[in-house]
Amino acid sequence: MADADERSGWPRRDLLRLLGGVAAANGLGAAGWGAVEWLVPPANADTWHKSVCRFCGTGCGVMVGMRNGRVTDVRGDDQAHNAGVICIKGSMLRDLPSIAGRLLTPKIRQSGRLVDATWDEAMSLVARRFREVIAASGPDAVAFYGSGQLFTEESYTANKLFRAGIRTNNVDGNPRLCMAAAAVGYTQVFGKDEPSGSYEDIDHADCIFIIGSNLFECHPPLWERVERRRRAASHVRVIVVDPRRTPTAERADEHIAPVPGTDLLLLNAMAQVMCETGSIDAAFIERHVRFSDGTDTVDFQAFKAFLDRYRPEAVEATLGVSASVIRQTAFHFARSAATVSLWTMGVNHRTQGVFLNNMLCGLHLITGQIGRPGATPFSVTGQPNACGGVRDTGALAHALPNGRLVAKPQHRREVEDLWGVPPGTLSATPGFDAVDMFGAMADGRVQAALVMCTNPGQSMPNADKYRAGMERCFLVVAEICPDSETARYADVLLPASMWIEKEGVFGQGERRYQLIEKLLDPPGQARSDLQILVDLADRLGHGALIRARTPEAVWDEWREMSASSRYNFKGMTYARLKAERGLQWPCPTESHPGTVRRYVEGDDPFVTKGRGIEFYGHPDKRAVVFLRPYVPAPEQRSPEAPIYLTTGRVIELWHTNTMTGRVNDLRRVDTRFVELNDVDAAERGIVTGDKVEVASAYGVLRTSARVSASVKPGVAFAPFHSAQLLINRTVTDHVDPMSKEPEYKLTAVAIRKVRA
Amino acid sequence: MDTFDLVRIAGTLICLTGIVLCWRFARTRVGAVAAPRLKAVALAGFVAAPLGALAVANYHTFEGTHAVDGCARCHVMWPMVNDLKDPASDSLAARHYRQAWISTNECYGCHADYGWRGSLKAKMDGFRHLSRYTTGTYQEPIVFRGHFNNGNCLKCHAGTPPFEQVSSHRLAARVLSESAMSCLNCHGDAHPTRAQRTPGSSAYAHLMEKPR
Repeated sequence: MADADERSGWPRRDLLRLLGGVAAANGLGAAGWGAVEWLVPPANADTWHKSVCRFCGTGCGVMVGMRNGRVTDVRGDDQAHNAGVICIKGSMLRDLPSIAGRLLTPKIRQSGRLVDATWDEAMSLVARRFREVIAASGPDAVAFYGSGQLFTEESYTANKLFRAGIRTNNVDGNPRLCMAAAAVGYTQVFGKDEPSGSYEDIDHADCIFIIGSNLFECHPPLWERVERRRRAASHVRVIVVDPRRTPTAERADEHIAPVPGTDLLLLNAMAQVMCETGSIDAAFIERHVRFSDGTDTVDFQAFKAFLDRYRPEAVEATLGVSASVIRQTAFHFARSAATVSLWTMGVNHRTQGVFLNNMLCGLHLITGQIGRPGATPFSVTGQPNACGGVRDTGALAHALPNGRLVAKPQHRREVEDLWGVPPGTLSATPGFDAVDMFGAMADGRVQAALVMCTNPGQSMPNADKYRAGMERCFLVVAEICPDSETARYADVLLPASMWIEKEGVFGQGERRYQLIEKLLDPPGQARSDLQILVDLADRLGHGALIRARTPEAVWDEWREMSASSRYNFKGMTYARLKAERGLQWPCPTESHPGTVRRYVEGDDPFVTKGRGIEFYGHPDKRAVVFLRPYVPAPEQRSPEAPIYLTTGRVIELWHTNTMTGRVNDLRRVDTRFVELNDVDAAERGIVTGDKVEVASAYGVLRTSARVSASVKPGVAFAPFHSAQLLINRTVTDHVDPMSKEPEYKLTAVAIRKVRA
Repeated sequence: MDTFDLVRIAGTLICLTGIVLCWRFARTRVGAVAAPRLKAVALAGFVAAPLGALAVANYHTFEGTHAVDGCARCHVMWPMVNDLKDPASDSLAARHYRQAWISTNECYGCHADYGWRGSLKAKMDGFRHLSRYTTGTYQEPIVFRGHFNNGNCLKCHAGTPPFEQVSSHRLAARVLSESAMSCLNCHGDAHPTRAQRTPGSSAYAHLMEKPR
């Protein structure tokens, strides 16, 4: 051995020393690595889970970070459609599961006070009262008032229970207050509800026409997408039509501020200019469009003749927009390589909401600005599941699942077959829409109602009138907190779980269905709305009808049902929704990638091969351009009420503030104010901070004034988030005659300074 | 000529001096020169020059890693560097680079906190990256493990009128300063998304081209 060492030139001792040195050096390096792995601070969370934002209808994908069973961080999901962008509300989702003041136990009203009860006591009372009312006054004396925030499985189950079990069409919900005009408008034009395009169209548009939408504050990730498009292409023109100079309008290339309530004049005048200047796509019209006066089919000449009265010079005085601006806007809309229109409540919250939706689609149809990347009419939605959960499931009083209508006997029969109930089970009488439903509570036609996941005590217009209805009715309210404006009228208050405390699907504004998986147990005794509905079904003797009892089982039933329609999403299994970042319907098979652009060959599986574009919703496979006359709004300014009050959101808060108002970092936002123009303020001797009285034909309230140039003279704005202000006490309950959606955006009021 | 170049020249001179001294020491017979002088040569050649060279080398290395090219030495960083320099990219990093909002050491400008502790933390994380890179103990797309300090954004943006005018910034001042809410939530990704950086994606080949 010694000889061998001498031959190699490496004595054993030296070799061992060398190896020892190498080992020590490696050990030192490894120790250093280990030390920095330990010392470098970790992220805020140990595990990250794919989910969806709880707030607006953008439906942003979020990543929920968790540690020790708690949500510790929320980030935008960079693999979702929103490419990682969310907003301040979405960021604050982190605090949502731990907000203070959650409702933890069922409560029953006894001697005027809500007292704790067991689930059995509460649900027994609910079932008994529902049975008594139905026995005494028939099934139409009970009602369900749901929400665009329930999971699809929950809205579907409620719809089935009330229509096919209890046998009433009194199924409506808060989407009636925000999306009904769009739903009816789309259905009239295309024969099917829901937008044909996608958010992706913003990425390709050269003209972005935003009307009645404060995208920057209400849908910030979509506004960021608009900004991204502008950064990518400097020629992109953003036009905003809004009576207020909103943050969106401030950032636009052009801001058009019409007199509130007159914007159908603008759309009709733009159509007139397009026809007059030949800025139309005659070939597209010839192939894909039909004209209608609302009753009969008419020809293109009749459409042009109808528009003659809307020449820009004829409407500019009433509209408050110059003829030259109207002509320029028409030019940009029609002649850009691709135009996308985005609208929301400024259009929908109107007595002419359906007409406005019709005409916005009409502008795209006569110019061929549809069915190409960047060219589409797109109604942006306000709630996370108004589209998928309510519009698509048909959980509105006039509707049935997958675009069917109560008024059509054939549609009722189809649904009876699909639900496996005897012919004649579904009532032929359309139910009460939201406004009528709460009116019917006031006069006793509806005597018992279940309200889920919404706060009509604050959100109904002409609030005092309908709060009186809630007071009179036997009201069952499933809520997350015991002190909402609706909870105060509850006879039975049920603690509901929310967001990641339960599992289900949200369907956002671009037909994208996304799964929210359960990550937390709900607090106290809170239950999912689905559990509550299943329990109610059992107690009312309809357990055999409501066979699907888990979110996935309900989804599978609903998925199978959709295959009978052009809303087909049979290919969207829970397994796919867990693995993917949402899918857009139609999606008929598990191998189908989903449909980005509806009615377009190669994308939409229902388009006949070789047709290119096919509006298959109508039997003649044409979309309808309606001749929609401008009708002045019922509320008109007068010497007694010389200001138009309009309402809306601020960026940090959402809806009636039951959630965002409990998040520590958001609760400091004060929305108890009315904003009025500096000219109006000066005339009344009002400065910012003064106490003012706002009086309309519906109510009177006092609040603080903010003087601003962002509203035109003769216009005032108030956010609708504050329960203390409860601005809806002064807001009109006039509704669109077609959609029954209230005109929140236009109430004539008087504003005067009062002593503090 | 900047400090970095001067240090580089100084380091080269120190190394050459050390080599010369060592060579002279090796060539000197014991007793041919006075012992103190021999000791001084030995001390300078074997101790002072290596220590000086080590200090300069460390400075050189640390300063070198401040530069974008320092990050681009590891190929997993190429997507970030390519995107940074892509005039068509809309990422926050690319927009900052394009507008020269951070004029030099663009990566380091956002990824090292203020002060020496910030640099130390960045170096610690850099050493961790290097360890994982050399041992191959990472997966693409790489994911930032730590928690990004919003201070890197706020050190430039806070207090500016465009920043302060946004009501949400004022409202969320606490959570922003504590980095409890990421600036990127509202302002979008700083770099190519994970989906883009995943091998096999349509953007992957382009992003993984060697940066020029």
